[in-house]
Amino acid sequence: MENKFKLVKLEEQASEHILAPNYSYWKSVFRRFFSSKVAIFMFIISAIIILMSAIYPLFVPYSPSYTPNINDFATRFIRPNLEYLFGTDNVGNSLFDAIWSGTRNSLAIAFTATAITTILGVTVGAFWGFSKRIDKFMLEVYNIAANIPFTLLVIVLMYILGRGMWQLIFALSVTSWLTTAYFIRVQVMIIRDREYNLASRCLGTPTHRIITHNILPQLISVIVTAISRDVPTFISYEVFLGYLGMGLTQSDASLGRMISDYSQYISSASYLFWLPVCISAIIAVSLYVVGQTLADASDPRTHFI
Amino acid sequence: MRKYIIGRLIRSFFSIFIVVSIAIVMIYTLVPKENIFFGDSYLPKLGSKPDETIQYKNSRWEELGYLDFVQQSDMCKNSDNYSGCMVIGSEESLVLKANYVDEGYTVDTFPKSGFLYAYKEYTAVELITNWFSNFIQIDNVNKISDDGNLDLERKVYLATDYNGLPAVKCSGCENEYLMYLDGSFPFIHQNFIKLNFGVSYPTYSGVETIDVISSGQGTYDYEDVEFPSGKTASSPLDLHNCTYKATSTLDRLDQEKFDSNYANCSFNYQDPSMISTSYLFGILALILSYVIGLPGGIFMSSRKGKLADKIGTVYINFMIAVPSLAFIFFAKLIGTAFGLPDKFPQFGFNDIRSYILPVIILGLLGTAGLMIWTRRYMVDQSNADYVKFARAKGLSQKEIFNNHILKNAIIPIVDGIPSSIILCISGAVITETVFAIPGMGKMLPDAIKAYNNSMVITLTFILTALSVLALLLGDILITFVDPRIKLDNKGDSR
Repeated sequence: MENKFKLVKLEEQASEHILAPNYSYWKSVFRRFFSSKVAIFMFIISAIIILMSAIYPLFVPYSPSYTPNINDFATRFIRPNLEYLFGTDNVGNSLFDAIWSGTRNSLAIAFTATAITTILGVTVGAFWGFSKRIDKFMLEVYNIAANIPFTLLVIVLMYILGRGMWQLIFALSVTSWLTTAYFIRVQVMIIRDREYNLASRCLGTPTHRIITHNILPQLISVIVTAISRDVPTFISYEVFLGYLGMGLTQSDASLGRMISDYSQYISSASYLFWLPVCISAIIAVSLYVVGQTLADASDPRTHFI
Repeated sequence: MRKYIIGRLIRSFFSIFIVVSIAIVMIYTLVPKENIFFGDSYLPKLGSKPDETIQYKNSRWEELGYLDFVQQSDMCKNSDNYSGCMVIGSEESLVLKANYVDEGYTVDTFPKSGFLYAYKEYTAVELITNWFSNFIQIDNVNKISDDGNLDLERKVYLATDYNGLPAVKCSGCENEYLMYLDGSFPFIHQNFIKLNFGVSYPTYSGVETIDVISSGQGTYDYEDVEFPSGKTASSPLDLHNCTYKATSTLDRLDQEKFDSNYANCSFNYQDPSMISTSYLFGILALILSYVIGLPGGIFMSSRKGKLADKIGTVYINFMIAVPSLAFIFFAKLIGTAFGLPDKFPQFGFNDIRSYILPVIILGLLGTAGLMIWTRRYMVDQSNADYVKFARAKGLSQKEIFNNHILKNAIIPIVDGIPSSIILCISGAVITETVFAIPGMGKMLPDAIKAYNNSMVITLTFILTALSVLALLLGDILITFVDPRIKLDNKGDSR
C-alpha cells in the first residue's frame, strides 16, 4: 500500500510560532471609537472648534477693551450676514472674532485645569490607594476639602485672588484634584490585592513599578471618564464666573461675560445673546461625548477580538 | 456608635474651623483693604478734608476688625499730664510716639491738625482669635449694665407672653424673651445663644450679617398687637424679640407702649427672609428632582439596553455637559413663551407664577445625577446572587424588582438626601442670580461685588457648616435604613 504521508523537513521557526490574532491596543481603541457615528460627528465638531479657536485669534486678535468702531454708529448691531457671520455688537466689534477668542480662553482654562487635576490626582491617588500611612493623612485632608461646596470655594477664591486666567485655573484645580485622587484611590484599593499583584510583590517588584505597570494601565478608561467629566465642568464654571463678572480680566474675551454683557439685548438683538450661549453648550456637549466614547473605547475589555 | 458620632462631630467642627480661618485670613490679608470703600457714599463727601478721611477710614477698618486704631486723645488718656500730652510736638507726645512704635504700631500725624494717630494691623492669628472669641454670645442676667437703671431686677422666670403662651422671660438679660413659642417654623424659638458674625458693610451698613440673611424682607407687616402697657395699636413690631434699651434713650412713645426697658423690638416683614426663600426653592426643587429622578432611574434600569434606557442616557449626558447657565437660559426662553415671568420680582412672593420656572429649572438640574446613580445601583444589585436565588425560587420579575432590588439599591441614595438639600442652596447661586430671587445664593455674588467681607465670611461659615453637618446626617440616616451598616469600623483589619 502506498504511503500517503510524506516526511517534511522540521522547521524550527514554525514550531516557536504562537497562533494569536493580531492585536494592537491603540488600533483597537481607534477602531472602537470610530465605529460610533455620533462620536465621529461630535469629534469633527470639537476638532473644528478647537482648531478654529486655536488658529483664528492668531490672525484676527480681539479684546473687549479694544473698540476701534465705537464712534461709528453704522457698524453697531449689524445682523448676521456674509461679511459679519455672527453680526456685530453694541460697540461695532464682530461677534465672530469675539466668540473664537472667548472659546480659546474657555478651552485653555478647561484643558489646563483638567491637566493639573488629572496629573496631580492620578499620581497622588495611586500612592494614596497603595500606602496605608498616606491613606490616614490624606483621608483627613480629603474630608476637610470635600466638605466645602465647590461653587462657594471657587467664588470666594476668585474674590480673594482677583481676576485673571491663572487665578481662575488655580481656583478651579485647587481642590478638584482631590476628587480625582479619591476616585483613583478607591479603584487602586480594589485592584492592589489581586493575585497577580501579590505575586508581583512576592517577586520583589518595587511599589512604583507595580503602580505604573500593573495598576495604572487597568485604570485608563476610568481616568479618561474623569477627564471627559472635568472638561465640561470647568467650561461651565468659566462661563458661570464670567457671567458673575469674576472670571477673566476686562481685556480678555470670555464666553461667560459675553452672555452677561449681551443679556440686556436679549429682545432687541437676540443673536448677540444666544450665539455665545449655544456655542458654550455645543463645545461642552461635543467634548463630553467624545470623551465618554473614548473612555469606553480605551477599556481593553470592550475590544472583542 | 455614640463614640463614632462624637468623633465625627469634633472633626466636623475642626474642618469648619479650618475652612473659616483660611477664609478670614485670606480675605483680610489678600483683598486690598481700600476696596471696602468702593461703594461708600459718605467718603466722597469728605474729599477735601484729609483728617476726617483718615479718621473715617481707620475707624471703619477698626470696626470691621482689620486693625487697631488709636488717636492722640486716646493715647493721652493713660498719661499723667493729659493737657501737656495733647500739645503737638510736646515731650510727652514724643515719648508716647516712641512707646507706640515700640509696640509695633505705625505712628503718623494728621496732615492738617498735626495730632498723632497710630494703627496696627492684626496678624493672622489675631484675626482668627478675634473672630472666634466673639463668635458665641450667651445671654445672661448680668448682661445689662445701665447707669440710669441701677436697681434693675436680675432674674429668669417663667411667664406667659402677650398671646398667653408659656415663655421663659428674663430681666437683666439683653433679650426680654429667652424662649417662646409661636406659629412659625421651628415653633420653639430661643434667644439664649446668639452667633455673632459681625456687622455688614458697605451694603446693609450697620446691620449684623446674620440679621441681613435671616430677617424678613420687603415692607413692614402691620398687625393689631396689645403692648405690655395695655395699649393696642396696629404695629409691625415683633414683641417676642425685644432687647434692652438704656433708660437715657427711652422716649415718650416707648413709655406709652412698654412698661419696662425692653422696648427695642425688631420688625415683622411681609416677605420671607433670604434663608427661608432659598430653602423654600431648594425644598420644592428637591422634591421635584426626586419625583422625576428616582422613578426615571428605576425605569431606565428595568429597561436596560432598550430604547427608554438610551433616551435616558442621552438626557443625562445632555444635562451633565451643557453649562448650567446655558441650560437656565434655554429653560427660561421656553418658560417665558408660556407667559411665565422672567424675573422673580415681577410678580413677587405672593404669586405662584413666580415660583414655577425657577423650581422646574432647579429640579431638572438635580435629576441627572440622581438618575445616573439610581440606575447604576439598580443594575449592580440585579446581578447579585440573591437575585438569582429569588428567580430560582420562582418569584416573578416584578416581585424581585420591587421587593428585593429596589430596597437594596435605595440605601446609597438615602445617604445623599440630606446633602442634596444643601446642594440646592449653594447650587442656586446661578438660578437665583438669573431670576433675581432675593435669596442666600444671590447674596454671595452680591456681597462680593460690593466687597462686603463680613458677609462673605458669614456665608462661607453657614454654607460650610450646613454641608458638613448634612454629610454627617446622611451617614447616620443610612444606619437606620440598613442595619447592616456600622459606622464605627471595629474589627476591620484594613
